[in-house]
Amino acid sequence: MSGTVELLASRGAERRIEAPISAVACARDGQTFAIGTVDGEIYLIPMAVLRQPEAWQRVEAHDGAVLCLAPDAGSSGFVSGGEDNRLVRTSANGETTELHRGRRWVECVTTTTSHIAFSVGKGLELRDASGEKTLKTLEHPSTVTGIVFDAKGKRIAASHYNGASMWFVQAKIDSVRGLAWKGSHTGVAIHPGGEALVTTMQENDLHGWRLSDGHNMRMSGYPKQVASLDFTRNGRWLATSGADAIVMWPFFGGGPMGKPPAELARLPGVFCSFVKAHPKQDVIAAGFEDGTVLLAETSSERVLPMCMGGRGRVTSVAFTPQGGAMVFGTEDGVIAALDLSKAD
Amino acid sequence: MSESKVPVTVLTGFLGAGKTTLLNHILSAEHGRKYAVLVNEFGELGVDGDLVVDADEEVFETNNGCICCTVRGDLIRILGSLLRRRNKFDGIIVETTGLADPAPVAQTFFVDENLREKARLDAVVTVVDAYNILQTLEESHEAINQIAFADVIVLNKTDLVDAEKLKEIEARIHKINASVQIHPVSHSNVAMSDILDRGGFDLKRALATMPDFLENSEHSHEEGVTSMSFAVEEPLDEARFQAWIGAILQEQGADILRSKGILNFQGQNDRFAFQAVHMMADGDYIGPWKEGESRTSRIVFIGKNLNRPQLRRGFESCRA
Repeated sequence: MSGTVELLASRGAERRIEAPISAVACARDGQTFAIGTVDGEIYLIPMAVLRQPEAWQRVEAHDGAVLCLAPDAGSSGFVSGGEDNRLVRTSANGETTELHRGRRWVECVTTTTSHIAFSVGKGLELRDASGEKTLKTLEHPSTVTGIVFDAKGKRIAASHYNGASMWFVQAKIDSVRGLAWKGSHTGVAIHPGGEALVTTMQENDLHGWRLSDGHNMRMSGYPKQVASLDFTRNGRWLATSGADAIVMWPFFGGGPMGKPPAELARLPGVFCSFVKAHPKQDVIAAGFEDGTVLLAETSSERVLPMCMGGRGRVTSVAFTPQGGAMVFGTEDGVIAALDLSKAD
Repeated sequence: MSESKVPVTVLTGFLGAGKTTLLNHILSAEHGRKYAVLVNEFGELGVDGDLVVDADEEVFETNNGCICCTVRGDLIRILGSLLRRRNKFDGIIVETTGLADPAPVAQTFFVDENLREKARLDAVVTVVDAYNILQTLEESHEAINQIAFADVIVLNKTDLVDAEKLKEIEARIHKINASVQIHPVSHSNVAMSDILDRGGFDLKRALATMPDFLENSEHSHEEGVTSMSFAVEEPLDEARFQAWIGAILQEQGADILRSKGILNFQGQNDRFAFQAVHMMADGDYIGPWKEGESRTSRIVFIGKNLNRPQLRRGFESCRA
């Protein structure tokens, strides 16, 4: 693809660091991106210096890999869990505070404006927005592999071996809604309209439950394990990795049962490794195993390449809440930031 | 069997056999290599410098409905994370508890595609306490399984038994696992080259030294775990072999603890290495036969209720 000017070059900036990137997130106020590495660092990219990689700030947040990263419950800053068994808050200016220290890895973290939830082994701990006060600890039958709040922040779900569990955040007495399906479930997503819960599995499959009646949905046919999934903003589509295209399951007109998925942005022989739905438009950002990153419109065949391959497997992508900028990271330690808001 | 894959050594052994001593020995030996270590309780270990992770031994059934096909969920998660930093260490050691069945550990490397891509099971090393082993074998099927799964046995505490007893123990071990290498030592003091970086399940070495006496051994009526090996001089038909071994593992996978083979397929210059744990099988071409080497296909089964004539006829029927 020589001669092609990559959008990344004209609208963004990139920097290669030593450690593979494990997670990327944007703060709720949209002013800062955070990038976690397997060496325990967090890089902060303020919007003002999005295109000045030398001004990106490096913070030593964990000893061992950053396993998970999310925007803080407050408007700025982040929370991250690591192999050092700690949950750490990192402010937009790079100050870190320890919120939890235990005996096992902090493997998942997710937040709403009023809660911080994280998992340690079989336990899912729910804290208030300050991160200081533990509201409840929800126990599961086996290690929690993924956690997610529903769109309203009223329920929280966890994936684990043999299914998923849903809990009401505010319940005085905790009763679990168990969603059972044999096998190891490795990640979880909830439909924005609350219609369905979908998990990724150890096998090359997705499993879903229609939440109105618990009806099971099996979504299979992937050549690889599905490592990443994300619903579009309106819940019409579920985008997933695991094939040499973005695989899109329709969640309208009766849902995906009995329907084949649509495919976007097929790159023959190159596997999609990460998908992220744009927060405001019907667009999916997809990262591939060779480092290719592109945007694909869900309603058309249109594809907008951000950069070609040669950067290593894309492990994480994040947008700002308004969708005007995006950051991605790769296994080869490339951090790239793009301004999508204005044309040059 | 790519060399860029991180070798994983699984360390098993009955309680008190000397696993922790061996682990400390490995970590303090001057081999110039760095190991990440997964243990169940690292409190007693007192190691530093290397990466030590507390594992929780979470065993899963896989989704194929077979009760023998279990894997370790904690290993998938922990190794998956560690392997992202594979430039930081030369190998990984997984220590299992004394009562654990090694099968779920070994099978994990067949099932998870990320692990298969980045790591290879180098060898199952079982530490055996020479002083107590004959007694333990009578009382515990876990101990039998640990020997059955082993590629290498560190026969420890040999200073506590005489030469005759040692011979008896080695014969007993070889009866369970004909192809295993036995290293008699005391205080777990074994040469690092005998246990680490053996090269993919120690397949080549195990089969190269497979004792010939087994070929002539009489039919065993014993109910316990035994091993049987077979050899075929003529080239094999690959499709016929795959169909046969698939059916054997499907029907008898729960009883076949391990099977391994080096095979000469017709029309191929390279040796084909085959291995399975219970029903989970894996195979790959591992480079050409040596000049002047006899291109004999060999296979070994370790398990219970093995029917020698049936297995022999089946293997022989794979001839091209």
